Amino acid sequence: MTAPATAAPARQARPRRTPTAPRRRRGGSRLVFLLPAALFLGLFSIYPLVQLLRMAASEVTAATLNADWAWTGLDNVRRGFETGQTGPAVSRTLVFVVVVTVLGMLVGFGAAIALRTSGRWSAWLLALMVFVWALPPVVNGSVWKFLLNDAGLINTVLLGTGLRDDPVPFLYDQHWALFAVAFVNAFAVIPFNTLVFRAALMTIDPEVFEAAQLDGASKWQQVRHIMVPSVRPTTLVLLILTLVYGFRSFDFIYVMTYGGPGTATNTLPFLGYLQAFVRYDYGLGAATSALAVVGVLVLAVVYARSIKREEADG
Amino acid sequence: MTVKAGPLAVAAKILLTLVYGVPILWILLTSVKSSDDVFDADRTFLFRPVTTAYVEALDGDLLRALLQSVTIATCATALVLVIAIPAAYGLARTRGPLPTLGLGLLIVLQMMPQTATVIPLFQVFSGWRLLDTTAAVVLADAALLAPFATLLLRPFFRAVPPQIEEASSIDGAGIFRTFWSVVLPVARNGVATVGTLTFLLAWGEFLYAVNFYLTPGQYPLSALLAQQVSAFGINWPGLMALAVLTSIPILVVFSASYRLLRDGLTVGAVK
Amino acid sequence: MNARRTSLIALAAVGALGLAACSGGTSAGGGGGDGSTAGGGGEGDGVVTVWHYFSDPNQVALMDAYQEKFEADSDATVENVYVPYDQMNAKLVSAAGAGTGPDVVVFNGAEAATLALADVLAPLDDRWADFADADQFPDSVLHSVDDTLYAVQGYVNLLGLWYNQDILDEIGVEPPTTMDELEDAMAAAKDAGYGGITLSGLPQSQGEWQAYPWITDAGFDYEEPDADALAAGFERVRGWVDNGWLTQEAVTWDQTVPFQQFAAGNTAFAQNGNWQLGTAESDADFAYGVAPLPLGDTGQVYLGGEGQGIGAHADDPDLAWEYLTSTYLDVEGQELAPDLVGSIPSRADSAEADVVTGNDLLDPFAQSIADFGASYPDPVIPPAAVADVQLTVGQAWSAVIGGQKSPQDAADEAVAALSGLLG
Repeated sequence: MTAPATAAPARQARPRRTPTAPRRRRGGSRLVFLLPAALFLGLFSIYPLVQLLRMAASEVTAATLNADWAWTGLDNVRRGFETGQTGPAVSRTLVFVVVVTVLGMLVGFGAAIALRTSGRWSAWLLALMVFVWALPPVVNGSVWKFLLNDAGLINTVLLGTGLRDDPVPFLYDQHWALFAVAFVNAFAVIPFNTLVFRAALMTIDPEVFEAAQLDGASKWQQVRHIMVPSVRPTTLVLLILTLVYGFRSFDFIYVMTYGGPGTATNTLPFLGYLQAFVRYDYGLGAATSALAVVGVLVLAVVYARSIKREEADG
Repeated sequence: MTVKAGPLAVAAKILLTLVYGVPILWILLTSVKSSDDVFDADRTFLFRPVTTAYVEALDGDLLRALLQSVTIATCATALVLVIAIPAAYGLARTRGPLPTLGLGLLIVLQMMPQTATVIPLFQVFSGWRLLDTTAAVVLADAALLAPFATLLLRPFFRAVPPQIEEASSIDGAGIFRTFWSVVLPVARNGVATVGTLTFLLAWGEFLYAVNFYLTPGQYPLSALLAQQVSAFGINWPGLMALAVLTSIPILVVFSASYRLLRDGLTVGAVK
Repeated sequence: MNARRTSLIALAAVGALGLAACSGGTSAGGGGGDGSTAGGGGEGDGVVTVWHYFSDPNQVALMDAYQEKFEADSDATVENVYVPYDQMNAKLVSAAGAGTGPDVVVFNGAEAATLALADVLAPLDDRWADFADADQFPDSVLHSVDDTLYAVQGYVNLLGLWYNQDILDEIGVEPPTTMDELEDAMAAAKDAGYGGITLSGLPQSQGEWQAYPWITDAGFDYEEPDADALAAGFERVRGWVDNGWLTQEAVTWDQTVPFQQFAAGNTAFAQNGNWQLGTAESDADFAYGVAPLPLGDTGQVYLGGEGQGIGAHADDPDLAWEYLTSTYLDVEGQELAPDLVGSIPSRADSAEADVVTGNDLLDPFAQSIADFGASYPDPVIPPAAVADVQLTVGQAWSAVIGGQKSPQDAADEAVAALSGLLG
């Protein structure tokens, strides 16, 4: 535990606003490193973002998309809630995001610990997982659609072993469908989380584990006291990325249920897709997407705060 | 590394192997079925394998698309790293309202639905006469992936002990020199991991490719894969065979970087 | 300072190298596309660029046949450009926004209004007025928006009742001609251990397209939407699910999967289209046939298919029109469609050709056109509301089959939403 521990006193020893010129200038001038990103993203990302927000506050249809947009303020958002589609979509999105995030983070971390070991099996399994992760959603989604259908492998096994008398309606029951789709989303994000967690675990000095073993620490204690603290910064950013992934995910819903049965798996991103690209009410769709962006703004503030705390802790 | 797997780890590995192995097995099986066997429950495992789907997939288009994929993914990854590495380092080492705002903005950008960016970017590229060029797809992919890569890289730079930088600056090195020769080597695991992930994501991206190329002759593999799904149905064996073929390079890239990662670690110089 | 400059140069070099490699890749991969022009091809370059979304081999073969035919008839060249179905409209709309686009668009006819409103299609009125064969085409294949003609269909696609002759023989019934006969046959099929019927319950336009015959049979129409009639239609199909004749799983199926299920041989009937002819031939190893859907007096079947139009930003609209009149709108051109993709030609003279009337499987479809044929989409729906209406009814259809809502609730909610959309 040498590196993190020594960092703190070094930091605290440094007074804020030290008069010595080199240090101060260095902190400020490192902003230069942000310049390429600021320029590039300003050019290629901020403009689309501004367009999205403008669209959310305007009346935009197929007929007016390439013309001038009439400013309507919050009208689109109000319309979304009034038609009774946005409200349920928000609660479905929350359920969906919670399932994806909890599964994705816990299993991802567990898998990273299990795959930390050297050896052929770990290497192959990791490769297999990354392979699956890199497959396009239409392939993964279709495969799971097959595996989860009435005659699919999962139901065949369940029926064959006598655990169930009739097939589980994974994708066509209004309650099951949301969880099934969330599960497949988690399945798709776990390899990524595993890989990043694993990379973070690999930066722990092996001597730390050796020392812990000599002290007689159990596996669980090693996880609790060595691994968890050392992956904390990574956990934070992964948590954010997983949450965002859950919040914006729509491909699997598109492939597996198309929001159905009825509207049972219409989450915010899918609803936004339907509104913008099926109904060609671009304004309404943009408003729904913007709503999700606002939800994420809350996350961004939480993230920024914990970053501050992280800095304060050293 | 001398980590040995305990019984719990073995159980976890068995479970993971099943959960990720079965879909792959299913993909492989389907890719060698004839289309009328796909929906026949009696022929899930017992069927007469055919290679039709592979024979149909392996033509000149595939090779050309492969070259396009390599070009796009490589260029996009290079561009993303050139942008994201300094940004992540800058965000890890500066404080104040500006970097905080930057981080928040990156998260918001991460949230942008990709479908919503197609139309504005189309206008930009059209204005710059970049439509139908690889450059447009590379730029769009880089804009899509740079926020992600920056967020992901930042903790790796945070983990670099500040003392070694201070030591370097005492030796008289400027911040760029310190960054280049001291910080970057220490954070190479993170860079390799994020670089690999970026490459794989760029490899699979097809929405921009389909929209910014006006002629399908230039489509990369991912867009060819998207073609298997049409309004008049999905050619299952074709889709799965192509998925297998287009993913082989993924395995190659991953295996290469996996070795890189492992070798980097056995040096054990991370202090 | 020196060191800083060195690393900056190094960084810049990496970037420059990357970009150089990329632009190199551009010219290498460029091939046919001219990188410097924003549009597909230059001004009047003698190339007809046709955007379509076909990837099925038979349909691609038809596109190739049309290309061959036109290139033989004229000295122009045809470039068929495949765009994935899901991306077609977005790409057309964004291209139109940039003032570019294809010469000819082959698109889902139901979306003519959307594309016309988005300024993707050029008006055809003048050309149509001068077209000698115009009177061969029924109104149902002409896509007009606000009294301006934007697209014509060279053929129609519609739904019929496919049946598995082997199963019908086993349970001893004839192909049904009434709803009661159909339901009796499905009950008998179930008792014999087979499925009753397959169809699509997807919550979108495909669902609405499949629901339409059943709900119109129960007396529903868009002219005066009646919630009770809609509920009655829904009730009937929900009854099929409750009786075990139709699997609830249908809500996850687009129109392809149910036909592949049918082709696997364990279901007596399938509500599906004439475009499945090729699939039936290659995948079904049992005797099969087609009957018109057993609808009553009010029952209607949409006449769908791809619309063909000229791009609003075509670089040579005249050549594009020549292409259309030589292929999709031509007598001989139309007669290629039944053979290759099983579609019914839209021209009156072509529809009476031997390729249609001599085909036992196509004939019931041709008969359906006469008995139940309805314009798709229904002309009473305002152009701007078409997509919305289809989604609303499709979602209600899916909610009923999937058991998310009762038939009455789903019908009430759908009709409430429709009253706002239909104006």
